Amino acid sequence: MNNLGSKITSWIAQLVAIAIMGQTLYFKFSGAEESTRLFAELGMEPEGRLIIGILELVACILLIIPSSITFGAMLGSALMTGAIIGHFTQLGWEGERFQLGMLAVVVLVACSIILYTRRYTIPLLGAALQGRENQ
Amino acid sequence: MTGKLVVNLHKLARFTNIAIPLLTGLFFLAGLRISFYFHFITVAFIFLTALNAFYRFGQKGHSLLRNFGILGQGRYILESIGPELRQYLFLNDTEERPFNRNERSEVYRKAQDINSASSFGSQKNFDSTEVKVRHALFPIRKKDLKPSNVTFGEERGCPNPYTLKRPFIISAMSFGALGERAVRTFARGAKQAGILMNTGEGGYPKYHLEEGCDLIFQMGTAKFGVRDDEGRLDDQKLRDLVANDSIKMVEIKFSQGAKPGKGGLLPKEKITDEISALRGVRKGEDVVSPPSHAECVDIESAVSFISHVQEVSQLPVGIKLCMGISSEFRGLVSEMKRQNAFPDWITIDGSEGGSGAAPKSFMDRVGIPLFPGLKRANNILTELGVRNRLKIVASGKLVGPGRQMIALCLGADVICSARGYMLAAGCIQAMQCGSNTCPIGITTHDPDLQRGLDIDLKATRIKNYVDNLEHDIEELLCSTGCRSISELSFDHLYVPKDSTLHAYVTKPN
Repeated sequence: MNNLGSKITSWIAQLVAIAIMGQTLYFKFSGAEESTRLFAELGMEPEGRLIIGILELVACILLIIPSSITFGAMLGSALMTGAIIGHFTQLGWEGERFQLGMLAVVVLVACSIILYTRRYTIPLLGAALQGRENQ
Repeated sequence: MTGKLVVNLHKLARFTNIAIPLLTGLFFLAGLRISFYFHFITVAFIFLTALNAFYRFGQKGHSLLRNFGILGQGRYILESIGPELRQYLFLNDTEERPFNRNERSEVYRKAQDINSASSFGSQKNFDSTEVKVRHALFPIRKKDLKPSNVTFGEERGCPNPYTLKRPFIISAMSFGALGERAVRTFARGAKQAGILMNTGEGGYPKYHLEEGCDLIFQMGTAKFGVRDDEGRLDDQKLRDLVANDSIKMVEIKFSQGAKPGKGGLLPKEKITDEISALRGVRKGEDVVSPPSHAECVDIESAVSFISHVQEVSQLPVGIKLCMGISSEFRGLVSEMKRQNAFPDWITIDGSEGGSGAAPKSFMDRVGIPLFPGLKRANNILTELGVRNRLKIVASGKLVGPGRQMIALCLGADVICSARGYMLAAGCIQAMQCGSNTCPIGITTHDPDLQRGLDIDLKATRIKNYVDNLEHDIEELLCSTGCRSISELSFDHLYVPKDSTLHAYVTKPN
């Protein structure tokens, strides 16, 4: 996070991730038909839907607060990895599912970009990346 | 390996390195066949596998991580919390350096005006190294003490002498080393306590002046605030500066206890826009002052420079140095005698260190510690018959009345301390002064951290600290039967065999 360029890149990626994760929250929490069907297929309805909804909300909040952006990106990428596993194993990629799956991929890419620009602040890994001694 | 119960960490690490990806696969299968909830764990293990792979194959900086993977990280985690654990839990009350818990809490108690009486005996090691003050058979009462006024500049008839009413000075810490709020705290506290504050070599002392306490302007080797383009003294700038009423004296820094033989150092982390403007230096680079003054190349020019500054400033002018080679100091004093030009005081700084940032080798290994240095300097001045031509200010870990009393017995007229006042303002000895991350906001420019420092409250603590120090010094003085600091001498000390001062003992103890 030395220069303005990487700062702007990170913030754009954060906004993309927040926008995509944020808009699905409404469907998850209101129990929209498509959303309940998805989670029913995964065998997680309704607890899993609410748990993942809450975790996504937490990720969005962490991504906004400057001192926790790295943690938000870590949580976001973990959730999206889970979503992508879901698409590959149970949900599939046909029709609307393709769009939903691609949104998860986009968020995962955005979170990866955030983590890359802020790589030195990642717990444990950051110090090794800097190659410093005794961290 | 015998039958001992020992964990072979290398074996364990090899096991872990295989187990992590294996478990990832197992949890994935469980997520697929049993419940999707297992994928919460799958995802965590995917990331763990990636991290472990990076440690093992992706990085080269840490051999331990290359060999042991994620298990090796445990060592770094434990090591990183070590300083805190030791300070909070494991080190006993007399063990820590530079100040142990006993020394720190004595300052805290004085600053908060809490009685510091203790019970059931001292925790000091009495047998070998502890220097003691000898009390009189008939101690005197406080009303018999003479006022402890010290007048700087009286010896040479300086046109503007300065009388310090209490023998304490807040030692040189620049704005730069300190944050704005810390400068204000110390300056306000100094004003309330009626003592002097040294500005440090930080250039124009903007915030010190705003608080209106009595100041010593310190001229470091880089001469921030009074330098011309070549780094030499600009007389007019000095004249303009000392025209300010608050500046009572000028101190020329020859060397500093934390890093004798090296110029001042301000790490780049601590250079803000304001500091780069006040000092005329660039941001993003460490500011390293030259090791010596451009005007002073030998003892002759050094003494001439001192009298030149006295002439220009018309104020008491002192020098600050850490004792190094005694014969050089003797030469310097002889030259002063020859030119009949003496500084109004000499600050003897002990190599014990100080608040400043310094290379570790200098902090640890260069310079004479305060007590032997002070004794040596005082002896040389006395032997040359010029001790009465100037004052001696002592500095170097003088945070409590005990060590201060020893320094006074060794010849000091005034006690100077930086860290004592930092502790009084709430310093917790986190030892991060150079990295701009001071957790209590003293040595940082981060506004979020400075926020914690309540200027008015802490200024009162500075005053309390000075009040209580003076109280203790007076009581100690009464116990020796002396009526003023100037009556104290080396004979008032009991010096055991293993003390660094024992070489100076001439009479049997």
